[in-house]
Parts: sequence; structure tokens; C-alpha cells
Amino acid sequence: MKPGTQMTQKRKLQLILGEMFNMPFFAAFLFIFPAMVAVAQDDSGPNYGDILQGFSDPSRWLTYSGDYSGKRHSPLTQINTENVASLRPVWTFQTGTTTRGRGFETTPLVDDGVLYVTGSNNYAWAIDARTGRRFWQYRRNLPEDLTYGASAPVNRGFGMLGNSLFMVTLDAHLLAFDRRNGDILWDVELADYRVGYAATGAPLVIDGMVITGVSGGEYATRGFIDAYDPATGERLWRFNTIPGPGEPGSETWPNDPEILARGGGGTWMNGSYDPELNLIYWGVGNPNPDYYGDSRPGDNLYSNSLVALNADTGELQWHYQFTPHDLNDWDSNHMPVLADIEWQGQQRKVVMVGNRNGFFYVLDRVSGEFLLGKPFTGTTWAREIGADGRPIVLNDGSKGCVPDPWGSTNFMPPSFYPELGLFYLTARETCATFVPEEPSLVPGQASFGGVIFIDPEQGSGALRALDVQTGELRWEFTYPSPTFGGVLTTAAGLVFAGDHEGNFMAFDAVSGENLWHYQTGSRIWGAGAITHLLDGRQYVLIPSGTTLTAFALPER
Amino acid sequence: MSQETQHHRGLFGQASPILVYTALFLLLAVAIYPSAVLAQQTNPLASDPRAAAAGGVIFRAQCATCHGADAKGISSIDAPDLTLMWTQPGISENRVFSRIQEGVPGSIMPSHDFPDIEIWMLVSYLRSVAVSGATEEFGGNAENGAGLFADFCADCHRVVREGGSLGPNLGRITLRRTQAALRSSVRNPNSTIGRGYKPISLTTVGGDTVLGVIKSEDAFSIQILDSDQRLRAFSKSELISSDRAIASLMPAFAERQLSEAQLDDILNYLHQQQ
Repeated sequence: MKPGTQMTQKRKLQLILGEMFNMPFFAAFLFIFPAMVAVAQDDSGPNYGDILQGFSDPSRWLTYSGDYSGKRHSPLTQINTENVASLRPVWTFQTGTTTRGRGFETTPLVDDGVLYVTGSNNYAWAIDARTGRRFWQYRRNLPEDLTYGASAPVNRGFGMLGNSLFMVTLDAHLLAFDRRNGDILWDVELADYRVGYAATGAPLVIDGMVITGVSGGEYATRGFIDAYDPATGERLWRFNTIPGPGEPGSETWPNDPEILARGGGGTWMNGSYDPELNLIYWGVGNPNPDYYGDSRPGDNLYSNSLVALNADTGELQWHYQFTPHDLNDWDSNHMPVLADIEWQGQQRKVVMVGNRNGFFYVLDRVSGEFLLGKPFTGTTWAREIGADGRPIVLNDGSKGCVPDPWGSTNFMPPSFYPELGLFYLTARETCATFVPEEPSLVPGQASFGGVIFIDPEQGSGALRALDVQTGELRWEFTYPSPTFGGVLTTAAGLVFAGDHEGNFMAFDAVSGENLWHYQTGSRIWGAGAITHLLDGRQYVLIPSGTTLTAFALPER
Repeated sequence: MSQETQHHRGLFGQASPILVYTALFLLLAVAIYPSAVLAQQTNPLASDPRAAAAGGVIFRAQCATCHGADAKGISSIDAPDLTLMWTQPGISENRVFSRIQEGVPGSIMPSHDFPDIEIWMLVSYLRSVAVSGATEEFGGNAENGAGLFADFCADCHRVVREGGSLGPNLGRITLRRTQAALRSSVRNPNSTIGRGYKPISLTTVGGDTVLGVIKSEDAFSIQILDSDQRLRAFSKSELISSDRAIASLMPAFAERQLSEAQLDDILNYLHQQQ
């Protein structure tokens, strides 16, 4: 938001009010005034308070998960288990830009009947939510020598505040847009893309701050989480995910500043936020080199961890490391899901994560205390977490196959249904052999540190419903191949999910029965559905391939 | 990508760190480099047997994540099998060089600012892993082979347009597979069954049993070519069962049905059909 924009509007309003008071028909003013206030509010766009209220206004979807908690659970009930079978497409939007090998991974934001959508190759659009027609398109002029951004030219969505939209780019910049015209308000560099950095997540907007992470853990980079001033783009704080020499956590690395300076720990997925605790929860990716660990003995904090940061300062409050000394590229870049649940007879504030390493975790989100860790796939890497919260590793990949580097699940958003106590996630069953090799480290070139053999004959996927009290499987629906589609639940007892074959589907949240499916024509990869209310009609949207499709019940 | 960046960011450039992939690679690279001329139209390392080994080291470090450690590709991310690419019409070493250097627009295959000499090493490596019988000697009599192919194979296989569709098109097959592999497939068709030809037996609600090969499948439906070579699709809800543990629909040809000499004739015939 441009500084002064609100002042200008206030002045305008004062001028108009002044004229009104001079009008002979003063009574008319009393009638018109409420409408004027509404118009004035619409012009200024959603503020922090609106985002804070999350789903209380279901005509909006203002942040990646719909609210700060990451539950992706909408209160809308117009589409229910009885009528979902008649759900049908209302319109489709074609992006005209492709990401072969990856997906249309975005979550659209919705406000005042307008969708704000980011796409592959740093395209972005404002779209009419009623017709799918476009208001404006933005396309970034990207450099030809992109590094990580060239191999994953994706984006997961806008952040939004007032009339500003925020988007990160494949050349590792953060942009602010004017949502009315797509103009760029400011453009700041997060890091030098030539070294191996890129950015693909949806910025998290909290009170007076835009929070973003960065990609690059496959290169000799050092990850971070940044906060920026929404008005100016000025950086307010930075949390480095790999400690500097002598800092806490550096004891889990070799005593070598060079190794720390390129330790990896990307933060490319977005985080969630607890406004009461004023803590940001964010996942951290793999250490570099990915598969070769001999040059980095130790746990390699804060790679493959969840970090809880003080939102005002970016200081680390606590951390929990899911995969110490990772050798399999199992980034912990997942949407942390915050909920207040009854746990062994007590109310507890928890954070839940379905992790790439194959375990479902419940942690106390005030203290970071480990509460539960249970495998949700057939992974042979480990089958239990010890009392100390550390995995009891059985197979680092050298004793037969373990889940592939894409993991037992990935960044595709899961969903939590509070009334049912069920956590829904997409599980991947795969078989990969890892062969580490010492890499050379050249700026701008990837350094995986070895190769992997993936058995194409052994692979499947499933939508799984986990009981968060025990981690046990309540039900599943299997897919023919390992899947990257995300999940949405609604209070009508529905689960919406997508699969690698392109089906967008609805399930009974309790029984797991498939109630509806629609073949979108391209795999659903990395995206979860959203839902919103418009003109009294509930819409469900899913990105797939190069298409965004909006569904609703037939109009009566 | 400019020549300038290539020079200062390459492994052998002045500013690059003295970090090499392996000792082997270093030795090979030092030996090969002085004799190479940059930006050639043809591979300056074509006759150097060490180039493929050096290229393999680069491949495993830079390419294997998408194309697989064996260069056979990863289908879930659309990364193609590079061991088969030399059989494509119009392919050349020069074209492969450009693909590596410039990337493939609209795909996740990025451009690479490696020095030319390293790209030629990669080209040499890719040549070395090509699944190909192109350089093999073919015995047998192609004329006899044509008759035998018509009698034994053409119901299910075709060469270009002539023949059946239940099995793979065998046009240019000798460029993609060795004679030993082809012999093995004739004698024991279950040894390898390619994607798109996996057999299945379906039983419908109406009690019909349908044999075919799987073309595509999702959670709700399956698309096959049935044994009568008709494209058919079934909703999984209209099937009682589906059995994938069945033998290949191709019969195994023992020597008493098809002698080694006759098989030679067929292979020679196929080799002529390019």
C-alpha cells in the first residue's frame, strides 16, 4: 500500500461529507451514508483485522490457507454430502503459460468478487470470479540465466493487504502490486539468484509485515526467512536458517564458516501464524549437499526443522528437527497446521505436520514439545520416534528402498477438520535407492551430491485420514500413482482432493466414500482447492495443468 | 547466456574454484582440454574414448536428478529417456549440444552455461549410453525375414504402418534395442514389457472377460486396447475384477517354432526398415 493512500481517501470523504452537509435535502444523506461507508471500505481493501478474522467472511479468501492457522477448513456448507454429486464446472481460465514437469501450484486469493492468481514463470492475473474473465495480466521479464528458478518455474500465490498484493519471483525478488491495475509499487531483491536462489512461496502478511522465505537448498546457498515493510519494501528482520559461526546450532555442523555459509536450509513453502502467541511457524528444507553427508557431520540445524519465530523480531523461540542429518532431500517445507485440541484430557495449543520423511507429528506449539510422531506410509527409514523426540533410523537408504526425494508427502497443503479430529493428507508410496557422491561446489550450479534410482514399477498415492490423537489411519482412497494434489475440507463433511491423473474429487470426510469426481485433463500438482461464497452461491476452485476451474451447484 | 559468463563460470575458467568432480575427471579433462576447439559444429571429442567417462561424471552431478542416474528419464516429471533419443528423426550431436546449452523453452529443462568442452563431454556420454544396435552386424536374409514377419509377427506388430497394434511398432527398433535384447523378448516376452503394453484381464459386471493391454488408468477408469485390437474404456465401477498378474499377450517363440536362423532373418528385415 502506498503511504498516504488512506489519507487521500479520508480527505476525499471529508470533502464529500462537507458538500453533503450543505445539501438542502439533508434527510437523503442519512439514507445514503451507510452505502458510502461501504464503498469507502471496499476501496481500501482488506486490512490486517480482516485477514485475522479468517473465514468469518466466507466471500473472501485472503491468505494462502484461508486463515492463519493453515487448517484449510472452510465453514461453508451449501455444497454438502447430499448434493455434491451434481457439482459442475462454471468456467475455466487458461493461463497460457506452462510448467512441464511441475504444476499450477497456486492458491488464488478472493476479495470483492475478484480473484488474484499467480502462475508459472511469474505470470499473475486479476480475474472476475463470476465469469473467469481477466482484468489484467502481469508477466515478469525474467533473466535468461535463472538458476533454481529455471528448474521449478512455479509460484504458490499472492499475499494481500489493502490495495497491495505481494508476490515472490524466480529471480528471488519480492514485488508489491497495486491490485487495481497490476502495476508494480516496489521491487526488492531477496538474494542473488545467480548463486542459486529463487522464490516460489506465497508471502504471509501479518500486522505491518510481509514474511517470505526463499528456495535454493540444491545449490550452495544459505536459507533465510525475511520480514518486509508492506508500504516500502524495507527489510525489517532476517532469520538465517543455518547459524553463523559460534551461534547456537553451529555446534551441529563442522567448525567451518564456509560450510555454514552454504549449508542449504531453504524456506520455499509458506508458514502459518499464531497472533496470540505472536509466533510464526515455518518449515526449513534440506542441508546442502542433499544426498552427500560426509562433509557435514552432525544434525545440521536448522535444516529439516520447524522453527517458531517471534513475529516482531524474527528471533527463534523454539525448533524441532524432524530429520537430523538428512541424506534424502526430505525438506520439511510443509504447511504447519495450528489447532487447539484436547490432548490426553487437557486443552493444548498444537502444531501438526505431515512430513516428507513419512511421519505425522503433533507438537506443542507454545514450547515445541514433541507429543506424537507416527508413520503414515510404509517407509523403512524409521518406524518410531524415540522418547527424546529423535527418529530411530533403521535404513538411511543403503538397506533397500526408502521414499524418493519427493518424500512420503510434500508441500501440497493438508487439511484439518476440528470437529472430527482428522488430519487429511496426500501420501506417496515410492521406492528409491540413493547413491551419494561428493559433489563439486560451483556457484550457480546444483550440488545434489549423488544420484537416485527410482523404481518406476513401485509407486502409488493415497488420500489418507489420520486420527490426530494416535496418528492411526482412519480411511484412505488410493490413486494409481504417487500424487502431489492438496486437500481442502468444508464444515459440510466434505474433503476435496486432487490426484496425479487429473481427477478433482469430493469425499465423505467421515467414511472416505468418494462422492464426486471430475477429470480436469491435467495432473493436480502442489495445489489445494479453495472455496468462497459469491452472490449467495458457493464456488470451489482448483488449479490443474494450465487451467483454473471454478465449480458450483447448478442454479435453480 | 554470453561467452563471457561461460568463461568465468566454467569449471576450467580462471575464476572458478579448484574443485573438480573426481580425480578421474580432472585427469581426463586436463588431457582433453588443450586439443579441443570451442564452439564447434561437430563433436571435437568424438574419437576420444575418455570423453564419455568425463561426461558421465558431469551427467550424474547436473542432469541425473531429472533424467535419472541411468539417463532413462523419470516419467512422473516428463523427463525423457535420453538413451532412446538418438533414434529420433533429425537428431544430431549438434542438436543435442544446443538442447543442453539453450534448454527447452516451455519446459523445466533449463539452459546451461557450461563451457562448450563440457557440453561435448556430455554429448559423448549420451552417445555411449544410447540403447542401440545400430553399429551391430546383422546376419540373416531380409527377404526371408519379410515373409516370416508377415507370418509370425504382423498380426500384432507393425513396421511403420503395416501390421497390428497390440504390440509396439517395430520400425527403427534395431536402433533402440540390441539384437540380444530383441532375441530375449521373442523367446521370453515376459522379460520386459514396456509402458502401454502391460497385460490385463478384466471381468465386467455382465460377466464378460476382456483381455488387453493397458494404455491409461486413473482412480475411476481404465483405457485399454483389447485383444481384438479395439480401443475400449471401462469405468472401474462396472468391473468385478481386474487381474494384472497375467502373462504377456505375446506368445513365447521357442526354437522349434522359430529357429535361430529364422530369427536372424527377421532381425535383418527389421534392420532394413528404417
